[in-house]
Amino acid sequence: MLSCHIKNVRNGYPFLIEVVKVSEHEADFDPDFLKHIFPRINWPAFLQGAVSLGCREGLPEEANESMLEDEGFLKRFHHALLEVFLEEGSLVCPETGRKFPVSKGIPNMLLNEDEC
Amino acid sequence: MPAGDLEHSPFWYVTLPSEEAARSIGQRALLTKMLIEVWGEGSTWEELEAALRAYPEAAMAPWTGPDQSFKVVVDTFGSKLSMDQQLDMIEKLEFLPFKGKVKLRSPDLQFVLLVVDCEDNDSLVDVALPRRYYFGRQVAAADRSVLESYSLKRRLYLGPTSMDAEIAFIMCNQAKVRRGQLMLDPYAGTGSILVAAAHYGAKVMGTDIDIKVLREGKPGPGGTDRVCIGSNFTQYGLPQPVGLIRLDTHKHPLRPDLQEVLHAIIGDPPYGVRAGGKKSGAKPELADKRNPITDPSTHIPATQPYTLGECLRDLLDLSARLLVVGGRLVYFLPATPETYSEAEVPGHPALRLVANSEQILTMRYSRRLVTMEKVCPYDAAAAAAYHAARPDPTMAIDRLHDIVYEQWDEAAKKEAAESAPRRRCRGKQF
Repeated sequence: MLSCHIKNVRNGYPFLIEVVKVSEHEADFDPDFLKHIFPRINWPAFLQGAVSLGCREGLPEEANESMLEDEGFLKRFHHALLEVFLEEGSLVCPETGRKFPVSKGIPNMLLNEDEC
Repeated sequence: MPAGDLEHSPFWYVTLPSEEAARSIGQRALLTKMLIEVWGEGSTWEELEAALRAYPEAAMAPWTGPDQSFKVVVDTFGSKLSMDQQLDMIEKLEFLPFKGKVKLRSPDLQFVLLVVDCEDNDSLVDVALPRRYYFGRQVAAADRSVLESYSLKRRLYLGPTSMDAEIAFIMCNQAKVRRGQLMLDPYAGTGSILVAAAHYGAKVMGTDIDIKVLREGKPGPGGTDRVCIGSNFTQYGLPQPVGLIRLDTHKHPLRPDLQEVLHAIIGDPPYGVRAGGKKSGAKPELADKRNPITDPSTHIPATQPYTLGECLRDLLDLSARLLVVGGRLVYFLPATPETYSEAEVPGHPALRLVANSEQILTMRYSRRLVTMEKVCPYDAAAAAAYHAARPDPTMAIDRLHDIVYEQWDEAAKKEAAESAPRRRCRGKQF
């Protein structure tokens, strides 16, 4: 959902992910929520993130809404989307290389004063 | 409407499609005490009795059978009745055709005799109601037990501006939060509103400009492990937030084409009585004096004051973009009797005002719970034109801190007390 918002950056999406530590915790499986969020997700960017976090397995190269009827797909989508977290690492702007640090699972997206 | 069409009355007639609907309302509603099927009412006991005698036998029959245990409770508004007085009244209802057994503990059915009597109660000034008796069958009662289990008194992680549990749950009701939805609190703080939304089954996201409150938490009870937002979710057995992000809503990193992704945005914007607003960038007067940035990775970004007017403009525009059509924005707007005007409540071409309810906090200061609903897709040109027509988002309430902490001399206090009668909170007497 995030993109680099430094002024004048044009190709700030998607962020590259630098992983130091990944964590997992169980999330409530909610098919209605997954069906809502699926069409709003940029699938290639999602896959790129999933590869970085090591949870790409079982996710197809291309996805469309008909797959939402498949329980197996929903479960894998649910896991990669909601149960795997970047605990420590960085989000890296693909244009400028600016790193936004992620610590304790929380990305720090505040800009320095020369960036805004 | 209640007898006499009095808008301040706590008793309202509603028409509902089914008993099931009434029970669903009872399960979620926190400000509705109970829903009663009225069998009769009157301004005197005799009128009530006549009305009850005229109530069709056939309408009573499903609830008066021999196998249905029941009890009658007396509830009052404006005055109190002793146990003996209550029993006397219940006995006077013996003409009703109940054939079942009276059972005081968990009866099958509960009936309510409501006595409204404000005549000898001077404290009710502006909320007094005419004398009235109502009798009926309780169809549903509000389940407020959720508030006890989420009481802030026992919550692990709290801050000075943590949202009271009851208000947080009411905010979620206003936003119609439920399972299957995605909710955002852009001023998450210690996560009180997130907890309430997660209780109702939504996936929740929190953002805040304050990294300390969001990430670091504080030492736990007895100096043990640190507690943070996550601790509160663990405490209540709720799934963790799907995301917590430190960002500035004024210069946010949400990708520009992201739209219609949230069902609810609920928040308490920073308004400077206890915690003032901040946005990115150095204060203009200090910009030249700050140390140059030598190492961007350890540099602490500067922040500058963020007026409430600017903050709300950003909040409404963000909501107009990110909410699904039909999704709701619920937030608190501070107000003082001197500065509030309905015309100042911020607007947006994609959002319709649904409710604007005052909660009186002190004589000088209240807050208004504003509910808006997105009514059409976001149109960037329309939003830009709307904002261009209102170049200065500053509001009178931006002076809130000064107004609340202004020193009044005795003469000014007296004058204020005389010119505006003391306003009272409603709903405390029932």
